[in-house]
Amino acid sequence: MNISKELRGAELTVSLAGRLDTTSAPALEHDLKAIDAAVTSLILDFAAVDYVSSAGLRVILAAQKQMGSRHGAMVLRGVPDAVMEVFEMTGFTDILTFV
Amino acid sequence: MITVRHLEKKFGDTVVLRDVNAEISQGEIISIIGPSGTGKSTFLRCLNHLEKPTGGQILVDGVDLSSSSADIYRLRQKMGMVFQSFNLFSHLMVIENIMLGPETLLRKSRQEAYDAGMALLETVGLAGKAMAYPDELSGGQKQRVAIARTLAMNPSIVLFDEPTSALDPTMVSEVLAVIRRLAEQGMTMMIVTHEMKFARDVSTRVFYMDEGVIFEEGPPARIFTSPQQEKTRAFLNKISLYRFTATGRDFDVFRLNAELEEFCQRHLLNRKQVRNVQLVVEEMLFQLLFPRAESVEIAVGCSDEQGDTELLFDYAGAAGDPLADTAAATELPRLIISRLTRDADYSRSGERNKLRLKLKS
Repeated sequence: MNISKELRGAELTVSLAGRLDTTSAPALEHDLKAIDAAVTSLILDFAAVDYVSSAGLRVILAAQKQMGSRHGAMVLRGVPDAVMEVFEMTGFTDILTFV
Repeated sequence: MITVRHLEKKFGDTVVLRDVNAEISQGEIISIIGPSGTGKSTFLRCLNHLEKPTGGQILVDGVDLSSSSADIYRLRQKMGMVFQSFNLFSHLMVIENIMLGPETLLRKSRQEAYDAGMALLETVGLAGKAMAYPDELSGGQKQRVAIARTLAMNPSIVLFDEPTSALDPTMVSEVLAVIRRLAEQGMTMMIVTHEMKFARDVSTRVFYMDEGVIFEEGPPARIFTSPQQEKTRAFLNKISLYRFTATGRDFDVFRLNAELEEFCQRHLLNRKQVRNVQLVVEEMLFQLLFPRAESVEIAVGCSDEQGDTELLFDYAGAAGDPLADTAAATELPRLIISRLTRDADYSRSGERNKLRLKLKS
């Protein structure tokens, strides 16, 4: 999985490409935990993600909590239908914000 | 009657029969089933030495066929063989084809051979074709003549090598009916066949051959309804299998995913179905099984006929259905698996756990 980041003021966009699974989730987790405390808006760009498993969902959930604890916001952008199905089947669509 | 011990047959470097062991008793009707190219016909041909084994022993009534003192021709007379391709002499009439062996090899008189031949033609329902030439007969009729010709040598056992494979579907039943009648008369037979219903109805025992061995054997009721081996089950259900052994969390997951994708696409699963297979495999392995098992054998089966996809996880370790786990840490993977599957069946066999999942289509 490729992870690229773009910081604009307090807004960080993390663009993901490839599979977010057991093997790639730790790298994303590492990057998201290292987000500067000044970031209050996190955008996860999923447009180029073609697969997500529970290992990836956990990382996203942890990031959501992290942003919540600093009174920030997190949104998922451009989630493809095939990946959205996994968010739907696990009920994550009720917890996360999609744009 | 026939004992086969560690039979091996190689053609050059190609091992066709690896280690075949069997006991065949008088009166038995044994159907040999299995995928093409697994040595079924070669096994039959080794029994009567049409192929010379490269290892092991075949004993017929206690006589070792490989010993220099064995009278192969005499022993071969005890074993009639019916071939896929009839092998009738086209320049001889039907009755002459049948009389040839008894006259020349059994030294029967012409009249004796004729009378016995006509009786056999009656048995196979072709007395009216005695004076016809093979080219005037249908495929089914030719095969019935071939059976009569084999019986004319009074064999102790008849070996059938795919007797209906070369026939038009409309002619299969007439040949099977003749074999059924022989079965009712107590003839000892070994039949290589792809006619599963026939094998199930007629046999006293079924050999499932694969990988150059008798992979599984047993009475037809058991083989056809509850085979013990996954390969047997897959063959009977016309399921193509992909297998992978994942040992430890550090196994080559990229190779597994690539091979799963290729296998699924070969069986015309769409992208979503491929994703679902990979997702269930990943959740099972990494979230549910590796905490309990060091190594997991995975089998993915695709039924081309029914369009079903099944996953089997087989592993040693403590007993217990991993999907019945209630730990919070496994809630998410269990939820994903339950959403993507329509049937789950856990069983324990010896020290091994087997979890079979049927995916939603």
